[in-house]
Amino acid sequence: MTDLLRAEGIEKSFGTVRVLRGIDLSVGKGEVVGLFGPNGAGKTVLANVLSGLIFPDRGTIFFEGKEITRIPMDARFRAGLTRTFQIPGPYPTLTVVESVRVALLCGDSGRRGKSRSSRELEEEVESVLHRTGLFPQRFWLASKLSQGCLRRLEFARSISCRPKLILLDEVFSALSEKDEAELAALLRSLHGNDGVSFLLISHNPLLLEGMCNRVVAIEDGRVAWEGKSADLAAYLPVAGAHNHGQ
Amino acid sequence: MNPVAQVILDGIFTGSTYALIAAGLALILGVVKVVNLSHGAFFSLGAYVAYVLSTKGVTHPAAAALFACVIAFAFGVFLGKSFINPLRSHPFSVAVGSLGFAILFEQAAQILWGPHPVSIGAGPPWAVVSGVVVRRWGAVSLLASVVVLLGLALLLSSRWGLPIKLVAEEEEVAGSVGMDVEKIRYLTFGFASAAAAVAGALLAPAVSIAPTMGRVPLILSLIVVVASGMENVGAIFLLAVGLGLLSNLSAYLVSPQWSYVSLLSVICLLLVLRPMGLSATPLGRDY
Amino acid sequence: MDGFQRKATGALALGAGLLLLLPLAGVDLFLLDVLTTGFLLACYVGSWDIVGGVAGQISLGHALFFGTSTYACALLTSLAGWPFAAAAASAILLSTVAAAVVGTVSARLKGPFIALLTLALGELVHEVMLGQTFFSPREGYSWGGEGGVPVTLPWKALSPWAAYYLGLLFLFLAALGMTRIARSKEGLIWTAIAGSELTARASGVDIARHKRRAFLAAGALAGAAGVGFAAYVGRATSADFSLELSFQAATFSAIGGRGTIVGPVLTALALHAVLQGAGFPPAARVLLYALALLLTLRFFPEGVAGTLRSRLRARRMVSEGADR
Repeated sequence: MTDLLRAEGIEKSFGTVRVLRGIDLSVGKGEVVGLFGPNGAGKTVLANVLSGLIFPDRGTIFFEGKEITRIPMDARFRAGLTRTFQIPGPYPTLTVVESVRVALLCGDSGRRGKSRSSRELEEEVESVLHRTGLFPQRFWLASKLSQGCLRRLEFARSISCRPKLILLDEVFSALSEKDEAELAALLRSLHGNDGVSFLLISHNPLLLEGMCNRVVAIEDGRVAWEGKSADLAAYLPVAGAHNHGQ
Repeated sequence: MNPVAQVILDGIFTGSTYALIAAGLALILGVVKVVNLSHGAFFSLGAYVAYVLSTKGVTHPAAAALFACVIAFAFGVFLGKSFINPLRSHPFSVAVGSLGFAILFEQAAQILWGPHPVSIGAGPPWAVVSGVVVRRWGAVSLLASVVVLLGLALLLSSRWGLPIKLVAEEEEVAGSVGMDVEKIRYLTFGFASAAAAVAGALLAPAVSIAPTMGRVPLILSLIVVVASGMENVGAIFLLAVGLGLLSNLSAYLVSPQWSYVSLLSVICLLLVLRPMGLSATPLGRDY
Repeated sequence: MDGFQRKATGALALGAGLLLLLPLAGVDLFLLDVLTTGFLLACYVGSWDIVGGVAGQISLGHALFFGTSTYACALLTSLAGWPFAAAAASAILLSTVAAAVVGTVSARLKGPFIALLTLALGELVHEVMLGQTFFSPREGYSWGGEGGVPVTLPWKALSPWAAYYLGLLFLFLAALGMTRIARSKEGLIWTAIAGSELTARASGVDIARHKRRAFLAAGALAGAAGVGFAAYVGRATSADFSLELSFQAATFSAIGGRGTIVGPVLTALALHAVLQGAGFPPAARVLLYALALLLTLRFFPEGVAGTLRSRLRARRMVSEGADR
């Protein structure tokens, strides 16, 4: 399977704290890969490095065969590599529809280089809103949405660039069962219908078992285990394995 | 008479007082985590306090410094508590608001004492060393600055400085161990503002006192803080003295205007050329 | 257009209508002059709102663009002998170039440091212009500093009423143009950057590029205001670069409501007209502006028009956008 995303030897320190100590990770086309680890293992830092929010001290990242190690986050978005944030930061003064419009203005058009008419843009916005179930709330101020809806808005933002890979950072945590189920269905539809690959970050092993083809477990900034999600239960460290607390 | 040596010595004295201002600004940046543009106005406040006292016949620097300290501390705590603390997380409000306070003071000073510079007598010479005159203001300024900065360095490395360091570096920890974080913040703001005012009162005999006199010390101390960070008190002192020296020299050799212009150029270059270095400050971080 | 935008345009039209009729009600020449300069000031403040309100960049050196324009008009007409139209076009071009420079160097900086940099740049140019003299061989003496440089105008004298109505037309068109820009797709991206740079980046927004564009638009519009000012006052002085003028741009916008365009424009006009019309000296006026600013930032941070906009949007949430 050709690698869509490949990270080699990623190291990152903050001052004297070495958070990532040499991580190798890959996601293939059409794969759903889970990233598992306890809090403090470096999952979010890794997500930040892979998405381009910060750059690694050492190591290289390839996307579709091209090196992107020092390409900034907005360029990665336009190239089809996008991410959601664990704590969504909605625009304080924009409505839901406006928030999606921003992403659509900058996402796909940058890649394809052709401009669309306002009509086409609006149609795409509405299609994204329908897909993520946000159409009824489209005129709401984004900051007034519930947690579940904010996560869906994160999804809406992410799929606006016709992504090839979405990094989901703890997107299911602290959600109601209903919201979780809806989000999971959305993920499956994106995967099944559009062939989007995912890197799903979570500290919840049951979730990863259910959704991923393959799981990578990191501990203390290093890859501790990698294998099929069905085998995840065998790896789980004895202490704190079923500790789902934040 | 050795004019260049005189300028150099006076530059060192001036620079050491600027170190007081810079140290205060560094504290505010580190503990309250804001860029405070009103800091220069507190310097002016101290100088005008010294001026008003001198018109009433009180010329001792200790008196001026004491009055300036108390008034500025009160104002600083008021400003910190009522404005800076609540708006800390809004960079626009803090930047424009603190500038607003500075301009408010400038206009008030202009209304009260007129737009033209006034001055206090420089005082009789204390000592003359190989053609160079040492006056009271210079000696007192240097002494006060060294004492205060040493005290600050000692405080920060001791048990008593722990609350300040915690609020600066680990806010959540400070809050969770029951410290009144807001109080530490506005008290720090008050102390730092008082330090700037004391500097103004001490330096008053050596400068011309005008409503916009606070702008140069503001830019200068901003350079010091941006360039040397908040941790290193020694670096702050040395850099402030160095800049004060350069500023005095260029004012003497070229013209007073050009020293302000060169300071402004320095800070522009600093900000443009080392944006990565700025990420060391609490404001530079992205996430 | 949503509810607030309709009300905003309506307010502009209403204001224009009132001001159109005002001189017919009989006002003295002094007030006419105050209002005419007010129109130009309002355009200048509106231009700040583009970069400082809509795009959310803390620009504290906006007078740099204004002064560049007035000085260009003055120097090109009086020293280089250019016709006013050519000088005016060059003035706007130069202020746009200045804005491009500022926008580029500010692009990678965080908010408070942009405030610092723009403040320092503005003060730098102001200080230089304060001491800079220009020798006019024709007149035989030097111009510059606070006395300023005269602008050589193509007309002998402009009637106060003509100046008033031209100024009003200028402001009205400029304000319409600015609201158009603010409501465009580019304006939406600017609003996103102002709201959350992080989320904008994660949405594919090239922050540096769009920040620069905001500065460009603001600089060009400030330049236009500068041309108007040079034409009306007939002189460019170093005060055109002053910190007080930069401060006023941010202050009126904050009080009026950052990002609303209409709020800053109307606030600048109203406050200037009232306070200067009442005869307050400059120091007292600026002091009152500063006081109003501090109170606004503390208690009504969204400003007049901004608070109205938030209320209307909250109400619309409830009705689920029936007017779209």
